[in-house]
Amino acid sequence: MVDYTALLPIGIVIATAVIVLLTGLFIEQKKILGYITLVGLLTSLGLVLKGWDLNVAFDSAPFYGAIVVDPFAQIFNAMFLIVGVLVAIAALKAYGDNPRQDEFYSMMLLATVGMMVVAMSKDLLALFIGFELASIATYAMAGFDKRDPKSIEAALKYFLIGGLSSSLMVFGISYIYGLTGSTNIDTIASVFGANPGLATTPAILLAMVMLIAGFGFKMAFVPFHMWAPDTYEGAPSIVSALLAAGSKKMGFAAAFRIFIVGLIAMKVDWYIAFMILAVLTMTVGNILAVVQTSVKRMLAYSSIAHAGYIAVVFVVVAYDPAPGVAVIHAMTGGLMHAFSHAIGKAAAFIAVAAIAYMILSKDGKVDDPNHVSNYDGLAKRAPMTAFLFALLLCSLAGIPPLFGFTSKFVLFLSTIEAGLVGLAIICVLNSALSVYYYAKVVMRMYWGEPKGEAFVESSTYTFVLAIAVIALIVLFMPLPGMVSPGDLVYQWAEVAAHAVTGV
Amino acid sequence: MMDPNLTTIDFRLYAHWIVLLPMIGFLLELLIGKYTWRKGGMFATLSILGSMIISYGCLYNVYVQELGFWEYSWDWFYPGIVAGFTIDPLSLAMLCMVSFISFFIHFYAIGYMSHDCAKNVYFAETALFTGSMFGLVLSNNLLQLFIFWEMVGVCSYLLIGFWWHKPEAAAAGKKAWMSCAVGDCLFLLGIAMMYTIMVKQGITTEIISFNNIFQNLEHLSHETIFGMSALTIICILFMCGVLGKSAGFPLHVWIPDAMEGPTTVSALIHAATMVTAGVYLIARAFPIFLAAPNALMIVAFMGAFTALYASTLGLVVNDLKRIFAYSTISQLGYMIAILGCGAVLGVAAVAYAIFHLVAHAFFKALLFLSSGSVLHGIGNIRDIKEMGGLLKGMPWTGYAMLAGALALIAFPFTAGYYSKDRIIEDAYIYATNGGDLGYMVWIFLVLGVILTATYTFRAWYLAMTGEPRSYPAIRPHECGFWMKTTLVVLSVFALGLGIMTGGGVKFWHFLEETFVHETQTASGVYPGLDLHEIGLLGGNTLMQHGAHPPQWVIYLPLLLMIAGLAIATTVYYKNRIDVSKYVKKDNPLYQILWNKYYLDYLFKDIIAEKIIMTVFTFWDVLDRYVIDGVVNLLSWITIQAGQVGRKLQTGVVQNYATAVIFGVSMLMILVIMFRGGL
Repeated sequence: MVDYTALLPIGIVIATAVIVLLTGLFIEQKKILGYITLVGLLTSLGLVLKGWDLNVAFDSAPFYGAIVVDPFAQIFNAMFLIVGVLVAIAALKAYGDNPRQDEFYSMMLLATVGMMVVAMSKDLLALFIGFELASIATYAMAGFDKRDPKSIEAALKYFLIGGLSSSLMVFGISYIYGLTGSTNIDTIASVFGANPGLATTPAILLAMVMLIAGFGFKMAFVPFHMWAPDTYEGAPSIVSALLAAGSKKMGFAAAFRIFIVGLIAMKVDWYIAFMILAVLTMTVGNILAVVQTSVKRMLAYSSIAHAGYIAVVFVVVAYDPAPGVAVIHAMTGGLMHAFSHAIGKAAAFIAVAAIAYMILSKDGKVDDPNHVSNYDGLAKRAPMTAFLFALLLCSLAGIPPLFGFTSKFVLFLSTIEAGLVGLAIICVLNSALSVYYYAKVVMRMYWGEPKGEAFVESSTYTFVLAIAVIALIVLFMPLPGMVSPGDLVYQWAEVAAHAVTGV
Repeated sequence: MMDPNLTTIDFRLYAHWIVLLPMIGFLLELLIGKYTWRKGGMFATLSILGSMIISYGCLYNVYVQELGFWEYSWDWFYPGIVAGFTIDPLSLAMLCMVSFISFFIHFYAIGYMSHDCAKNVYFAETALFTGSMFGLVLSNNLLQLFIFWEMVGVCSYLLIGFWWHKPEAAAAGKKAWMSCAVGDCLFLLGIAMMYTIMVKQGITTEIISFNNIFQNLEHLSHETIFGMSALTIICILFMCGVLGKSAGFPLHVWIPDAMEGPTTVSALIHAATMVTAGVYLIARAFPIFLAAPNALMIVAFMGAFTALYASTLGLVVNDLKRIFAYSTISQLGYMIAILGCGAVLGVAAVAYAIFHLVAHAFFKALLFLSSGSVLHGIGNIRDIKEMGGLLKGMPWTGYAMLAGALALIAFPFTAGYYSKDRIIEDAYIYATNGGDLGYMVWIFLVLGVILTATYTFRAWYLAMTGEPRSYPAIRPHECGFWMKTTLVVLSVFALGLGIMTGGGVKFWHFLEETFVHETQTASGVYPGLDLHEIGLLGGNTLMQHGAHPPQWVIYLPLLLMIAGLAIATTVYYKNRIDVSKYVKKDNPLYQILWNKYYLDYLFKDIIAEKIIMTVFTFWDVLDRYVIDGVVNLLSWITIQAGQVGRKLQTGVVQNYATAVIFGVSMLMILVIMFRGGL
């Protein structure tokens, strides 16, 4: 008899989604649904944290090895659930009066379910289903503000490019199935390992590039990124938070599993592709972020740049001829950076939502509430929000004492340990460039001339931002040998790295 | 003497609190000092009282209970770099002196600074200043010492410029910082060289702790750089740091200007926390200097020259505080000179230097605090020509200053008499026993005595006796409780320290144990250290037995002091000789002295403004047009690339799909190219 308790977290989220959807049909006071969502997500998060080092494979019916709960899946689950919690709290404020809020919550929960399935799947089909579940839910969420043409445009672009990418992905998966006769990632890996000739056929090359393109869409690698800025900017800010922080990490969860486990035999081939994509992505993301005048769009590009940093993991893992400490550090750093970016970026988008809300409610009609000129003197108008937002930007820029520093440090350290000094220099230069646009916003908030009187700060938004900032500060300093909450995340990521790389 | 077996607290275990308490005081004072008793001062004073209690507790443990010395270090940030503390007679003497003087200066400042609006900031800075000095003294390795050394420098900058709204004060702070920075850079270079040659010996743990350096001096003495002994070069670099911090010639220029700070700060700098650091460094690193050929000769010469040089300047200055400032430079010269004489005298030189340092701390603190009381009483007039007859209005201050002045000129049975005359006698022994430079050091020091007596009493007579020469001087008001108490306590010590220590003998015997590898009761901090052998490494043959100079040498300083006193009395008290016909602007000698040998002119107008500014202008042009140009070009390229990239983001979804397909194709081509065909 298999013990299914490891699946309890995802079960709770599914149940909550169903409850929210059904209850929403019958009640008038829908604000309660937000709290139900929160309770569901928090319970699930608690169970994930409790079982952080579970290692359960479901090899028999009904899963037949498609689902696994290992530390790697759990750390991603935790990320998705934390982002979900942050977005859900923000939604209490953003959609508290919206009559369709039941749809929002249920779609958000279903998107979370999809992401969790991707993180836990060891089978290409399960992975694809989870991927599509999350994608379709987020397509709808991006267009949630039906009366806002920008929201509709964002959703449409996202949907069209998403459809294209999914087709490429399925194309790649079908080739892999054709070559190996299996969709199980472990089986695929052993087949390629046993037949080195198979790994060099042109067909597998095609499959590999298709998969990179398919996942590259979700991870927003340049040149598959073009939908991202438009969608992140047009979608409601809290949906952008979910997209940039959650959905993007789902792409990484899938790509890590497929490439680092399944297609590791072809690492010499995909290593060069990821190297080019990583460098291109971080450089283009940062350079375009510099010239943006909309803070929300700047965050979108910075999110692309961060995807470039995390893509470094693939390069280091594949480059190291004798997998050792560099590989572990790269994977650990990648997971930690995904973690820190998920919290920081989700909260940053929510901060943008909070600021836009304050500007619209006080200053009346403005063309673009996200324009950077509206942030002038914000520290005087909304001191709490400005302070927390500044700290979030510092974490994204990688400034201690915030978690963004440590995660970036471990990640970049691994490139040096692997001997990729050139790549390390590119990463660090990019990171330096990124400080420019983050600091620009902070500078305008603190030294700009205020445009009007003080705002009334929303306690709900401030609460979300405060949670995120406290989390980022508490998770700082996860260096080995130190006992701190951050150390636990380091260990978690390290255990997950061992699990996925098999080193 | 008390029962040595008496069980009490082992204060040595709490030595780190000596440093930490003032740091805590600093934080408390800075953050909440404003809202407490008298708007600041409580935390700083109490924390230093705490440090003082621990310091004297340690002294009790070591001196009375004879529990032995103490060294402790623990790993710091990098393998081989440690943080640690040493409790030995040398550090104990300094700790007890610094904590005592600093505590009373704080006590005095409660009264003196009572009208200042940023009192808590002042006290926070002085607490940090004192704490840094404690850290410096306790350090058992060069790096830690240097860090505290710099912290002392930063605090002095902050405190000299404490009244920053006065342009002179701000400039003086900057000058102090710059002068010290010149020395500190070279000192750091010396530490780096020491690290390098230690690593070359294959040493991996506690690389630059004093103990380890002393153990390896024999190997280190074979190292050469540019054909010179590496140790000599290192010692010269250390000496540069000492000249900056201890105001040796030619880096002493900041000291007179530093008088712009509050007088209590001057007292701290001159007596306890800043200028003594340099002397302490030579004392602590004495075996290194001893093992380096010719290093101590340079020390002796620089010291003796500074001693004489500064006392000539003291003759013409009219600013009360600056006269005492020059006397500090001169007295530090005596200390450094006798350390240089250690080439013959051995560890006794360290004992003499530190005893003079301690005695000097008492009477110099007293002189500054009493001049502070004068300033307080007559409305911040510092020119002695505008004073006169103050003794009547402020007898406490006047007699306290007299006590300090007597100690400074080494009047019999005061503290200075025992400490300074011993230095001069031993300089003579140094000369007769074949010390380098022979009698020159001794002659410089002896000449300094007569000048010291003259300028000190010139100041005291002009300020305290005669008729008032300005309106505020007619009705001075005496200082209050806090200041008066301090003056009395310090007077007692300035007059009586010599007698209390049995003419200094007890002190010297205690101090000499620092570099003796086995004391009677416990093994020393530096096991196996034999100064005689170390001296031979540097070509210095230490004296085997104590020697006594002839009687006339012993009485000569006394006679010269009386002569100097007589000159001052004749000219400035009895007014028998009118010096105004010599003290004129057209007298070339006077002009040289008045312009401080044109050293300020040389440094500021020629070196700083002409040479350095020319170089800076060149760099500025280079920086502005070449380096900035490159930076601007880079940012221009970045932004232009951004603008181009922005245009690619058309917003048309068909283009995006094209980009995806383009990306897939390019990736295919690249991967195929990389693997060299299909």
